[in-house]
Amino acid sequence: MAAVEKIVEKARVDQIVNYIRKDQEGDISLVEIMSLAELMVGSMQTFFKELDTNIYKEFRELADYIGTAKNEIGRLQAGDLSDNYIPSAGEELDAIVTATENATNSIMEAAENIMEADPSDSDAYQGVVNDAVMEIFEACSFQDITGQRITKIVETLQHIDDRVSRFASALGASDVGGHVSQEASEREQRKQDLLLNGPQGVDEAVSQDDIDALLGSNDDSKLAEEIDDKIAEQTALKKSKVKKTEKPAKAAPKKPAEEPVAEDQSQDDIDALFD
Amino acid sequence: MSIDATMPILVVDDYKTMVRIIRNLLKQLGFNNVDDAADGVEALSKLREKKYGLVISDWNMEPMTGYELLKEVRGDETLNRTPFIMVTAESKTENVIAAKKAGVNNYIVKPFNAQTLKGKINAVFGE
Repeated sequence: MAAVEKIVEKARVDQIVNYIRKDQEGDISLVEIMSLAELMVGSMQTFFKELDTNIYKEFRELADYIGTAKNEIGRLQAGDLSDNYIPSAGEELDAIVTATENATNSIMEAAENIMEADPSDSDAYQGVVNDAVMEIFEACSFQDITGQRITKIVETLQHIDDRVSRFASALGASDVGGHVSQEASEREQRKQDLLLNGPQGVDEAVSQDDIDALLGSNDDSKLAEEIDDKIAEQTALKKSKVKKTEKPAKAAPKKPAEEPVAEDQSQDDIDALFD
Repeated sequence: MSIDATMPILVVDDYKTMVRIIRNLLKQLGFNNVDDAADGVEALSKLREKKYGLVISDWNMEPMTGYELLKEVRGDETLNRTPFIMVTAESKTENVIAAKKAGVNNYIVKPFNAQTLKGKINAVFGE
């Protein structure tokens, strides 16, 4: 129907154009101009009607998209992430750094006490060694607590990943180059220039034997290539094994906000609860 | 070249714990004359004030890395013969090759043990 209307309108416009061309030499009266204008307006109505409908559809779609985006932004709960999840993970990481540092210092102190003890007095020496061994055992208990803290951090990261992935998927967003600040870009450049790669994964690190071979080699480039190939092969093999034995995804972790990081209670405080 | 156990050794690492570990290992190996620096800038300043028999340096430090320190040392006529061992977690072949090209005497990847440290010091001094 719309197509037929379009043909009719085009025919009308053609008629008007022909009429004006034919009477170019003579005068056109005001009545004729009015009639022509009326005809033109009538001809354009279909066009404007169609234009209105298209614009309306576009706006409707845009409004729907904005509505969906708004809902998804709400479901992302960015405030919750920055107020609860991220500070909580930060506190856990700080606690891990402190615990490992304290444990290392305690162990070192104990070892230094043994080193400095006088073995000529066997009784005293035995006492120093026994005390130091007990201190080392006590200090090693940090491993259990830090393990639990790390598990909480991993759960937090999984939770953030879930929310962001769902958000990106709902908006149909694909990866594009992100904005990198001048500072971040300079930092990255410095890392590349000074080969600040940081520690590698256990299977990706070059072994001490390979390093020794590299230092002694006359053709270190070729040897480096062989070592890198060997590491890449081992890594690929391990990844394929992990993929085969991968477990199904875990259920969404509990919200850390519901389990806030408690202030550490001293043993004295705990004892006081039983008094 | 025999090893002089009384020679001053400079340990360069931004982690105090690591400095303490290396210091204790060196003590166990018989080296008691040990100084330390927290980064390349401090190390360079100490190296220009006092003659050291050996530098044991980490790679990843701010503001001057161990790699930059190595290049500075090798580019300085008065320091360029100082034995230099890199002790680092940087364990990529490109790091090892870059350090070798810059003139490192030996390279130890963290974590390491006393035996490795002893072996590398012996190797540097040709024992």
